[in-house]
Amino acid sequence: MDKVRKELLQGTLDLLILKALTTGSLHGWDIAKRIAVVSKDRLSLKQGSLYPALHRLEGRGWIAAEWGVSDAGRSAKFYRLTSRGRRQLEKEISHWQSFAAAMTAVLKMEEGA
Amino acid sequence: MTTERFHWMRTVLRRWFRRGRQEAEMDAEMQFHFDQLVAEFRANGMSKAEARSAARREFGTADVYREEVRDSWRPSAVGDALRDLRFAARSLRRTPGFSVLAIITLGLGIGANTGMFSVLNEVVLRPVPFVDPERLDSIYRATPQDPQGNVSALEFAELKTAVDHYESYGAYVYLDASMAPPGEPADIAPAAEVTAGFLSTLGLQPRLGRSFRPEEASTGRNHVVLLSERCWQNRFGGREDVIGTTVRINSQPHEIIGVLPKAFSDWRLFGWMDFLRPMDLSDARWSDRRHTEFRVYGRRAAGVTPSDAAGAIAAFGESRAAAFPDENAEATWRTVLLQDAAAGPNGPLVLSMLVGLSGFVVLICCSNLANFLLARTMSRSRELAMRSALGASRGQLLRPLLWESLLLSLGGAVLAIWMAYGFAAWLAVRSTADNGDRVEMSIDANVFFWTLACSLFTTLVFSLAPSLFALRLNLNQTLKSGGRGATDSPGQRRLRQALIAGQFALALVLLTGATVFIRGLDALNAQQIGWRSDRLITAAFLLSEGEYPDAASRRQLHQEVLERLPGLPGIASASLAQYQPFLRWWEQNKFSVVGRPPAEGGREPAAGVNAVSPDYFDTVATRIIAGRAFDDRDHAGATHRIIINETLARTVFPNENPIGQSLHWLEADGAAANTEIIGVAEDVAYIYPEANPVVFQAYRSLAQSPPAFITLAARATVADPALLIGEIRNLMQDIDPDLPVTNLKTATDRIARENYQLGVLRDLLSMFAILGLVLASLGIYGMIARLVAQRHGEFGIRIALGATAGNINRLVLASSFWMLLWGATLGILGGIGISKLLQVGFPNMPHAPVSSMTVALAVLMGVALFASLWPARRASAIDPCEALRTD
Repeated sequence: MDKVRKELLQGTLDLLILKALTTGSLHGWDIAKRIAVVSKDRLSLKQGSLYPALHRLEGRGWIAAEWGVSDAGRSAKFYRLTSRGRRQLEKEISHWQSFAAAMTAVLKMEEGA
Repeated sequence: MTTERFHWMRTVLRRWFRRGRQEAEMDAEMQFHFDQLVAEFRANGMSKAEARSAARREFGTADVYREEVRDSWRPSAVGDALRDLRFAARSLRRTPGFSVLAIITLGLGIGANTGMFSVLNEVVLRPVPFVDPERLDSIYRATPQDPQGNVSALEFAELKTAVDHYESYGAYVYLDASMAPPGEPADIAPAAEVTAGFLSTLGLQPRLGRSFRPEEASTGRNHVVLLSERCWQNRFGGREDVIGTTVRINSQPHEIIGVLPKAFSDWRLFGWMDFLRPMDLSDARWSDRRHTEFRVYGRRAAGVTPSDAAGAIAAFGESRAAAFPDENAEATWRTVLLQDAAAGPNGPLVLSMLVGLSGFVVLICCSNLANFLLARTMSRSRELAMRSALGASRGQLLRPLLWESLLLSLGGAVLAIWMAYGFAAWLAVRSTADNGDRVEMSIDANVFFWTLACSLFTTLVFSLAPSLFALRLNLNQTLKSGGRGATDSPGQRRLRQALIAGQFALALVLLTGATVFIRGLDALNAQQIGWRSDRLITAAFLLSEGEYPDAASRRQLHQEVLERLPGLPGIASASLAQYQPFLRWWEQNKFSVVGRPPAEGGREPAAGVNAVSPDYFDTVATRIIAGRAFDDRDHAGATHRIIINETLARTVFPNENPIGQSLHWLEADGAAANTEIIGVAEDVAYIYPEANPVVFQAYRSLAQSPPAFITLAARATVADPALLIGEIRNLMQDIDPDLPVTNLKTATDRIARENYQLGVLRDLLSMFAILGLVLASLGIYGMIARLVAQRHGEFGIRIALGATAGNINRLVLASSFWMLLWGATLGILGGIGISKLLQVGFPNMPHAPVSSMTVALAVLMGVALFASLWPARRASAIDPCEALRTD
């Protein structure tokens, strides 16, 4: 059960992170909070799993990181979207939407039958 | 955008090169998140411990995420490869004995091959270091006596105007010279006189000073020299202020005007030269068409193909033959790329043969390693079966195997390169001539590439057998039988036996080749046709034009040497001659028989002519068959008489007594032209392995034609003639302190030096043969030992049932017998092939392929039987109780 949910998340985690970063540069903790708040806690994820995803995205050049100082005064690593990341986000959103639309259509047809 | 890209590049690079810092940052980042979580839970009223465990639940397993982050730091293909590589390295480290043995085996094999390739590369492939070397041709005037014959000054001048396929020509003439830097005694300096186009045709400029000027090619003004780089370094300490100073060349002052670049001294072409001097074209001998001493090469004009140029040169040769038949009727002109001329006519063949033979060593190594690895893989068959049963793909099964093989090969390659450097150093020492000229082999990119290719090839070859084994593994049976059943499949055993048989065959070919060559070379050195080298000391010296300008003065010095030398204690007899009997006689003269109708103009026979002192025949041990040797009657003023060799006597005077007949010499004038035959000497053959074109030989009296460059021979009464060398040197110094004496050494040493390339070849072939022998016996031993180990239980049962030690011995030996029989059959075929090849390469060398092959086969069989006897004895000593228990 857990595995299914994790897989579901893994496909979309990148999208969630990119979306979260559209508002500006955030550190990992903020990104987790933002995803939780926006999704109204419906998308629960182990917060540690953000980090592999962040590093992967950084490696692809979609986000960039810089060390800064957090609100609490501690040094933290801030991530922000790069222009390549912004283009990627648009692509992923449209992918996601067409996928979701297709899925919805299929499910509706099933109900209708 | 660009700053972002830069930022990204920096990130990626940091991930590669600053791992420690990356780790620390990752930890700090995740710690910060964790601390925030703890703080949040604390704010919700949890205790410190509760908050920490809640945070841990919420965050997940940090170590897993760390590992995932690390994974994201490297590109995945590289990451996988690195992981496999680490895995392979670990598994090799677990069996250090095997790994070291494998790397050394491979290192020896690849090293032998790399060494040979580096010689081939140096001699044949490396371009001669001149500008556009592919446009440079050597031009020969080939005669029946000399396929690389030279041309006369007149022909050279005509060639330059007649053939415009070449944009420029250069020519040089050997110059026997002595050189004395100020305040030092003179020493022989090998040198050349060159035409104006010599350097510019090659595209070279002096590295220091200036080139020759056109007006310096004339009498009296040509006393200027260009030093070779090596001579400048060795004799003048590499000082730049030698330019403009004076050295004595042949006792006459010459000005040093420059130093040649290092490229000039390529050992394949001009490395032996110490200096150059402009050719004095006004010298009377250059107006004589019979003086063919010019060595010519040319630079083809742009766009002219080698075959067009060769055609033009051949046509020019025909025009010379038509215009001057007396001198040129038998001469044909031809061209050879300077690059090929540098490699020598035999170079590519011999060296390719060496590379091929060293390839055999590599193959023996491979088959040994294939066997090793096969055994190793077999002992892991349970692991392989298990992994395969758990769903590992073929690639996943083979990858670790390939990586292990690759690591071993690369280890071997590193060892091989190291060996190649050692070999180059050895060759440099081995090839150093008295004037410092030596082979300086460059280990260049070609060699590295070859080594890499060779090691990749070996990887593929020797990992093939274990790979096939791993792929054909019968899972069911292997897992059931506990890993032992798989080893006995007949197919696997046949494969391994084929490997050993192949190895045996290769070793036999190597051993045959080496034996044929070594015995041939020893026979060549031992045959000494017409002379004997034991207790003989030889030397050469030069009477400089300055001090000994005419025949009388030269004769006087010769006389003094001949009178005083035999007086030294320990010397039985001594003589002077223009040439040593065992080295090449350069002088070739045409003759006709007086009183017979002359041969068609230009097609007269020619003989090699030596000028000798009366005691020469006694000293070097050339027998006089009929008539007499020279004596006091043949003094300078007497009529010129001659001694001919057996072949000349038999061929030219088949049914008459040659003594009393006269020969007319076409190249000689005055009293020297007509000579009466007074004796017949036995034939003399030189030491070189190539075919000897000189069949006719003749001797003049030294007193009647005293040359400036002369050789000395002295037969000692003591067993070790080397002791007398110092005495002889002192005597010569006493006669004339400024007399340059060279090559003062025993005849044996002189011959070894003259044929040092054959000596090197002999050393290399011996090394290959020993390597092949050791590796093949190791392989056979390993194979039989493993066979015995596998049948341990079976032998135990046999012994328990009453088999004797003899029975067991026979059983083990029989299994190797068929293998060896196959190997021997293949090896004999290969051996025949290689002896044929050697015969082509060295026609003048005695060949005894059958007896050599018998020796090789006997040695190899002996070693192989010994290698199988050992495990056999162990097998017959098996304690049945123990053998059955461990089963």
